[in-house]
Amino acid sequence: MAEQASPQPQLVCLGLNYRTTPVEVRERVAFAQTKLAEASQQVGGLQGFAEGLVLSTCNRVEIYATHHLPGAEAQQQLIDHLCDHFDLQSEQREALVTYPLHGSEAARHLFRVVSGLDSMVLGETEIFGQVKDAYQAALQGGSTGRTLNKLFQQAFSVGKKVRNETQIQRGSTSVGSVAVDLAEKVHDLSRCRIMLVGAGDMSRTCAQSLLSRGAHSIIVSNRSHERAVEMATEMGGRALRFEEWESVLHEVDVIISSTSAPHFVIKADLMQEVMRRRRWQPMLVIDIAVPRDVEPAVNAIEGVYLYDIDALQQIADEGRRQREQQLRLCEAIIEQQLQKFGFVA
Amino acid sequence: MPPDRWFLLAAVAVFLAAVRPALRSLKSGNWTVQRQWPLMLLGLALQSTALWLRGRELGQCPMKSLSDVLVFVAWSVVLLYALVGSGFRLSLLGIFTAPLVVLMLLLALLLPGAFPDYPPRGPINGWVELHAALALVAYAAFALACITGCMYLLQERLLKRHRIGSLFYQLPPIQGLARAIARQVFLGLGLLTLSLLISLLKLNTPISNPKLLFSWGVWALYLLIALTIWRHSLSPRQTALAAALGFVIPFISLWIVTSHG
Repeated sequence: MAEQASPQPQLVCLGLNYRTTPVEVRERVAFAQTKLAEASQQVGGLQGFAEGLVLSTCNRVEIYATHHLPGAEAQQQLIDHLCDHFDLQSEQREALVTYPLHGSEAARHLFRVVSGLDSMVLGETEIFGQVKDAYQAALQGGSTGRTLNKLFQQAFSVGKKVRNETQIQRGSTSVGSVAVDLAEKVHDLSRCRIMLVGAGDMSRTCAQSLLSRGAHSIIVSNRSHERAVEMATEMGGRALRFEEWESVLHEVDVIISSTSAPHFVIKADLMQEVMRRRRWQPMLVIDIAVPRDVEPAVNAIEGVYLYDIDALQQIADEGRRQREQQLRLCEAIIEQQLQKFGFVA
Repeated sequence: MPPDRWFLLAAVAVFLAAVRPALRSLKSGNWTVQRQWPLMLLGLALQSTALWLRGRELGQCPMKSLSDVLVFVAWSVVLLYALVGSGFRLSLLGIFTAPLVVLMLLLALLLPGAFPDYPPRGPINGWVELHAALALVAYAAFALACITGCMYLLQERLLKRHRIGSLFYQLPPIQGLARAIARQVFLGLGLLTLSLLISLLKLNTPISNPKLLFSWGVWALYLLIALTIWRHSLSPRQTALAAALGFVIPFISLWIVTSHG
């Protein structure tokens, strides 16, 4: 028997994310942030649709809508709209793998998204703000109505509840974020001066994480001075010739070392002298190099906190493990809230 | 039992109540200061009431017997925590403050011959009252420095040994703790200096007075700690250790000073 059009508005979500769709396709169908209100209006204006909201981030594109159509028809209309909007060719249409979710499934999905449970980095908090921005854009564009307004308000309250009542966002899950957490527990980041010894990609990631969290300044020193200048310029810091880095070591608070030297570059004797010169003010030393750049005995020096790549990785792994342990608790909260809001019996 | 003792017992219960859930939520990594703050304030109110009742009963500031002194120092510790904790973003200080306060209050309540009646006194000398009150608030600042020192040592240990757990995330940065220790030591030293100057200049008490001798000893110890902080002679860890262990001296001196009447 064919599905009947529904008199009550039905909720649908059509989405694609980093799990279903490769980045080459995702970037093809990404909506510009400035066009979200307009995109949401277009969805709400489709034949048989009442409300529309478009969420577009680097990891997902999702359309939330209410309609009076049979579910399959509404779903097909949204896929067609997406393909037409981005003018996708037939092979691109075929590569477009989407997930259609209806009613309570759509609500559950939104609650998980807002809580960071559907994110690439489990428990990340940025998505909460991104969903809020998408909702604000749709609201201002007038494309949301009673159902979506209520659903998104409920989603924000669920997201806050999950974050407040679980540890899903606790702990670091990447080497970069571990470096930031460590630096924050040693220094006031706004006064923190960083030095990169060696200009590898991973040290750049760590340094960028620190700078994005408000670190004061950065010095880059590398055997190839041109590379140091390039990286320093990119990060708004200053480059230092490789022969000179030891002389300013006592002035920095965080050292990130990643040279390709086959021997220890930062030795205990040097650090002892450096610490004496900086009057034992604490210093974080992050050794990302393999083979290691920093002599392990450095960690025994008063005020020096040495972390090599294994230690950082271990902390990040533990952070991920802890977040995964929290997942069940988060899912239980979401189920409880779905019941409370009448999405499931 | 006199009413002030009931208030003290109630304060002990409240501070204990503040520690238990805080420790549990700290372990789970879910701790927020809002959960402890109202209990700490309630405890402070109960302590203040107990002090006021005791003062009214004696007709003077209750600062002569060891029990009374312990109650006054414990009250000052909570008061300073309320003022300093938020200022230095050391909200976690409460978890460490409450047990110390409970210890002081229990000790005050359980001491043999606790809370004796004082002999009737003559007219109130404002300088004497000010001298004693300043000295006890200074001791409270040293107590907070001791607690902050313990927090520093704990966080430092976690950092050195790569123990990155829930406690690590809750504790403040070690540099912030080092700054807080310095401020508390300087504050305590300033207040104690003022108190001793009053005794010397306004009360004409000779330095050789045995009661004051211990206070001068405590002053000298904290002057030394303050100088090492100012001149960076010790590492921040050694300073934290000095602040943590140093409080043993003022704590013991309270016995000695009060036993000299």
